[in-house]
Amino acid sequence: MIATIASRQMRFVLLFMLAATLSSCVGTRMGVSWPSIGLIELNGLQHISLAYNDQVAILNPSNGVATRLIDPSSGQPIRDSENNPRNWVFSGAAHENAQFYGVPVRLDEESLLIADYNGNLLKVNSIGATISRAYPVKDQIVANLLEADDIIYVPLLNGGVSAISKQDYSEIWTFPTSAGVWAQPLLVGDMLVIPSVNHSLYTIDRHSGAFIWEVDLGGSVASTPLLANDRLYVGSFNRAFFEISLDGVILNTYDTQNWVWGAPAIDETGVVYLADLSGYVHALDSHNNLAELWSVQVAERGIRAGPVYFEQRVMVSARDGKVYWLDSRDGELINAREIEGAPELLGDLLLLEPSETLDIDEPLLIVSSVDTGKLLIAFGVDGRQTWIHRR
Amino acid sequence: MWDIILNPFVTMLTWLYALLNQDIVLAIVVLTVIIRLLTYPLLAKQQESQRKMQQVQPQLKKLQEKYKNDKEKLSQAQMKLYRENKVNPVGGCLPLVVQFPILIGLYQAIFFALAATPFQLVDLSERLLIPGLDALIPLQRFWTPIPQLVQLLPEMDLTKAPTDNPPYALALPLLVLITTWAQSKFSMSMSKQTSSKNDDDDDDDDGGNVGGQAQAMTKSMTTIMPIMFGAFSLSFSVGLSIYFVTSNLIGIVQYSPQGRQVLDRLFGKKKQDDVIVDVEFEDEEEPVKKPRRTKKKKPRKKSSSR
Repeated sequence: MIATIASRQMRFVLLFMLAATLSSCVGTRMGVSWPSIGLIELNGLQHISLAYNDQVAILNPSNGVATRLIDPSSGQPIRDSENNPRNWVFSGAAHENAQFYGVPVRLDEESLLIADYNGNLLKVNSIGATISRAYPVKDQIVANLLEADDIIYVPLLNGGVSAISKQDYSEIWTFPTSAGVWAQPLLVGDMLVIPSVNHSLYTIDRHSGAFIWEVDLGGSVASTPLLANDRLYVGSFNRAFFEISLDGVILNTYDTQNWVWGAPAIDETGVVYLADLSGYVHALDSHNNLAELWSVQVAERGIRAGPVYFEQRVMVSARDGKVYWLDSRDGELINAREIEGAPELLGDLLLLEPSETLDIDEPLLIVSSVDTGKLLIAFGVDGRQTWIHRR
Repeated sequence: MWDIILNPFVTMLTWLYALLNQDIVLAIVVLTVIIRLLTYPLLAKQQESQRKMQQVQPQLKKLQEKYKNDKEKLSQAQMKLYRENKVNPVGGCLPLVVQFPILIGLYQAIFFALAATPFQLVDLSERLLIPGLDALIPLQRFWTPIPQLVQLLPEMDLTKAPTDNPPYALALPLLVLITTWAQSKFSMSMSKQTSSKNDDDDDDDDGGNVGGQAQAMTKSMTTIMPIMFGAFSLSFSVGLSIYFVTSNLIGIVQYSPQGRQVLDRLFGKKKQDDVIVDVEFEDEEEPVKKPRRTKKKKPRKKSSSR
């Protein structure tokens, strides 16, 4: 009897330790980043490009379905060995099980360049969605590339930006930073503005990579600054938002409730909108030293992505799995929609407006989650859900 | 719910990082020492409970023999024996159940604080309970044991596995294996000391079925656990290996007799005399109204230690 009790006790302890060990592994937060979305031209029309984990896809903006591969000579769909039409999906399995967190950039009519997490630039044939060649760079990449003239600017996960020649993919120069560059650099004339998680915002000469100025923002800078009124607007993890002159002087500072990760938005009157990781959205007057117009907590959890402004509405998506529509004049909540299962909404928002090259009937707000079962969700600006893209 | 444990640890680790000249390894070591010291009373209680359980083993064995055909009576007698000697049969488990979430929380705090990717780092914004600590993010995750010899011992990335680091980082899983084994050995030798003391007290006791089984299990754990943790450390980040090694070294100190003496003195724990109270089976175990059994029983000798 006692032997049984002691034996049970030992078994209980062993089981408990095993369960605790396993739970400790499971409870940790695995993953690299969130989906990256953008617009890309394909067959004369604008499409949505999506990069997340092991796939890059090009989607039809009107329904969220991967677009068909079309043979330009015949105008017919390209088919696989079983005669099924092929969709524009590029898998990381094509090159060392690559992972993707930055959208492709167009190189020419037939090719795209995609950065992978292994530290390669993959030249991909845009007609057949097949890899042409891989060019290794100095480090892993989690942010979008910037292409300008004949140079590709590559932000590096562990620090620095490399300038790569578009002709032969050789490195022209690398500007080092002591910690990672997790957002796309910004081009302002001949200056390249680089946000770094080492707390600094740098500007360098875009051609030579020569240092121009650096400003310490007291916390990590993980978003691309907004350029407006010849000033830069950017937030940092030091719970602050800054207005910086183009010669590197902090003109005004606004204190936020938590880290500011996403890029701000600005309306036609000069009101700047930003969100923080406590779920607050703030409206500041850029013509009046960043004076607060309103500040409201809209979400229970943090807002990672920057807000989007459209026709007196400010739209944000939060970690609580909800999308919010606010009145830009006073921050009043107009609408809130919860995505089924409340997945974390971490990726940047994308606002699409109908145009000659963008085949949609109405303006769409595209939201991305980290749940592959509902990776992209499209809403009308009134909050009506129009489509979901599942992987 | 889990955040109640985790977030203070993440905050403490970041605060220590700031205090200790932004040396994350030192911060991990100091926090591990603090937590292991604070949880020592629980460990001591667990050890005390185990010791008491082993001390009553001879009496339990006698009861087993005596009531081998009457499970109900055996159970009553056992309960009485436990009660008289203030032994809690699951007392060894409860402190462990309390300790484990704390140690797992500490382990996870290291993982969260050393966030290396955007997806991990975004979570940290909800975990730091002191606002000023944001300015320290991201924590410095590159580290070398001897900065003067950085050419010879290049910096390790504490967020990556030993296999993705300079070759000397592979010494860490080995250290985890050795220190886990050593800790288990010290823990076992402590149990053996108590068991052999019991064996001396009662020559008839051959170690007992109970003690035997428990010891066999502990023995197998001594072999399995170090291998398991050593293997884990090969794929876990280097930062966690540093935690495992530190934690094991403290465990060795806590299980060693000298270490226990110092810690007991530190926590004001008095050494208790091993007085085992035997139970009166004949008078108290029989239901009052039932007639006494006619079958003669061997007279019970009272414990000399009483």
